[in-house]
Amino acid sequence: MAQLTLKNLGKSFDATDVIRDLSLDVADGELVCLLGPSGSGKSTVLRMVGGFETPNRGAILIDGEDVTRVPPEKRPTGMVFQSHALWSHMSVAGNVAFGLKLRGLPKTQIREKVGEALALVGLEGYGERRVWQLSGGQQQRVAIARALVLEPKILLLDEPFASLDQHLRERLREELRDIQRRLGITTLFVTHGQDEALALADRIVVLRGGEIEQVASPDRMYRAPQTRFVAGFIGSMNFLPCDMRGGVSDHPLFAVRATVPDGPVELAIRPEALTLLPARGTGARVHRVTDYGTHLLVDVDLPDGGRLKAMCPPSARYEPGQEVALEAGHVALFRGDAKLAEVTVERRVAVHV
Amino acid sequence: MTDLSSSGTGRAGGTAHSNGRGLTGLLLVSAPVALLGWLIIYPIFNAIARTLFAPTQTGTAFSLDTYGRFFSDGYALANLWLTLWVTAVCAALLLAICLPLALYLRFAKSRVAGVVQGLALFPMFVPSVILAYALIRTIGPNGGVDLVLNALGLPKINSPYLTPWGPIIGLVWDNIPLTTLMLVAGLGAVSDNAVEAARDAGARPIALLRHIILPQIGNAMLVVLSFTVLSIFSAFTLPYVLGPASPEMMGPFMQRTFSQVMDPRMAVTQAVITFAICAVFGAFYVRSIAKNREARR
Ligand SMILES: Nc1ncnc2c1ncn2[C@@H]1O[C@H](COP(=O)(O)OP(=O)(O)OP(=O)(O)O)[C@@H](O)[C@H]1O
Ligand SMILES: [Mg+2]
Repeated sequence: MAQLTLKNLGKSFDATDVIRDLSLDVADGELVCLLGPSGSGKSTVLRMVGGFETPNRGAILIDGEDVTRVPPEKRPTGMVFQSHALWSHMSVAGNVAFGLKLRGLPKTQIREKVGEALALVGLEGYGERRVWQLSGGQQQRVAIARALVLEPKILLLDEPFASLDQHLRERLREELRDIQRRLGITTLFVTHGQDEALALADRIVVLRGGEIEQVASPDRMYRAPQTRFVAGFIGSMNFLPCDMRGGVSDHPLFAVRATVPDGPVELAIRPEALTLLPARGTGARVHRVTDYGTHLLVDVDLPDGGRLKAMCPPSARYEPGQEVALEAGHVALFRGDAKLAEVTVERRVAVHV
Repeated sequence: MTDLSSSGTGRAGGTAHSNGRGLTGLLLVSAPVALLGWLIIYPIFNAIARTLFAPTQTGTAFSLDTYGRFFSDGYALANLWLTLWVTAVCAALLLAICLPLALYLRFAKSRVAGVVQGLALFPMFVPSVILAYALIRTIGPNGGVDLVLNALGLPKINSPYLTPWGPIIGLVWDNIPLTTLMLVAGLGAVSDNAVEAARDAGARPIALLRHIILPQIGNAMLVVLSFTVLSIFSAFTLPYVLGPASPEMMGPFMQRTFSQVMDPRMAVTQAVITFAICAVFGAFYVRSIAKNREARR
């Protein structure tokens, strides 16, 4: 049972505000991902929760208790670092046992707990190895076991899998998700990989320049981004600048109807919301077709010089240079950074053919 | 056609190239090796031989007489003990001063650290003679400290000048920069994350130092120790200018035996004994470096 509350947190380094005014509630057992581009302050937030940085403003509460000024060694948090955080002069078991030893637990109990923690991360029997004899993935598992063995109220992970290859990252991600579910431990996870956030999180917090841009479930974050930044940052998105006139966009290919004041807008369309049809006279031509196995990604050159990506079923056949028509199933309209409207278009039958 | 021929010449060129590189490498290595042999290895064996063969009427004969004289001479042994004692005290003081300094420089994130670093490195640029003179002028008899005490109506200090503590103060001051630099370099191997992870696990500063930092810089400490021992053991200027006349440290002792007692064979014997002791620490140094390499592989 642990709940984390960040209240109006602010942090500056050398008089530059790195975190402006950040408030967040993490419920018991929830896994929240902090997502954002490099330098957006994700690590800083995590390090403040862990006690490694002291906020200049605001408060951090764990189960309602103010821990803002509590040093890391006394905080009920456990942190997993990106890399190079294992103690190379100790064995694997020594690493996991260190915190327990400091707490003065009896030897038999320590051995038992270390064994359990290593089993939890799938490293039974590795206790006597030296840490530098392990692979990168195994090392990160040791780091997770080391954090978990102390039974922290809050688990903090700062891009723990960033230095691993894609396959391993996906596997460890799933394992971590299972462990986190099983233990029901409240978790804050920092990543700059949107796929990682989408796969892991109960809720995603998108940070930008030290401020929260949007907090939402992965599903809402992907399907209903509230700002242009989130729309562009999560998943891939086609942005088509045009003007609204009398409730209709003046884009030559996408005449979208929406009750929006006149003026410049950007149409935001996901590649999977686009349907391609062979056609003549549209001026839109296939530039390149990339086969990803599960789907094709077709780059289309627009008559106005822009280019967009459309996702097609793998059975589709398109040649570079071929003229196509495009239909958008779902369009969001942004003006500046703000979302004006979302339009779901009824699929019309291919009229251009 | 062109493809084939070009790949052929490419391969031939490659072999010639690697041959040339091997030869260049050998040439490059041979110069320092020759210098090492000429200026260090040869004099060592020459010196040892000279102490082992005494001149007689008929020529030379094997003899350990100078060693016998050295180890039966109470004065020579007192000098050796003094040197060992000064070296040990200096090494202990250096570690006691430089380790906290290095820890501060490595882990402090304030701007003061830069200033402290500058101050810590400053002694490196002061020649020992000037340092010795400055020390005489401040803590010597009627020096700066005495003047201040006198003005305040306090008794004079018991000056360390011409006692073993004179060279100790000078040598420690002189060796602070290098020792600190080596320790800071050693501490560079301890990652910030490793330290933070230890704090996260509940380690307070003392536990952090004992269980995380010290074990990881053990090698660096060994290097530092053998290095300072080597340089202090063979120091000359500071013991000569600041140290006591009797017993004296090995550096001045050798010099005096050579140029005033005019007993070069005895002076060389003293040097060989000094060298033997230094070689033990040198072996420590080499071993720890070799170990380091192995661990990294
Ligand atoms: N100790 C520090 N001193 C000065 N500036 C810092 C410090 N730590 C972080 N910053 C600054 O704070 C900003 C946010 O850094 P932070 O490490 O939180 O970013 P991040 O979102 O974790 O980025 P990344 O994805 O690259 O890890 C950056 O502009 C960085 O330069
Ligand atoms: Mg970061």
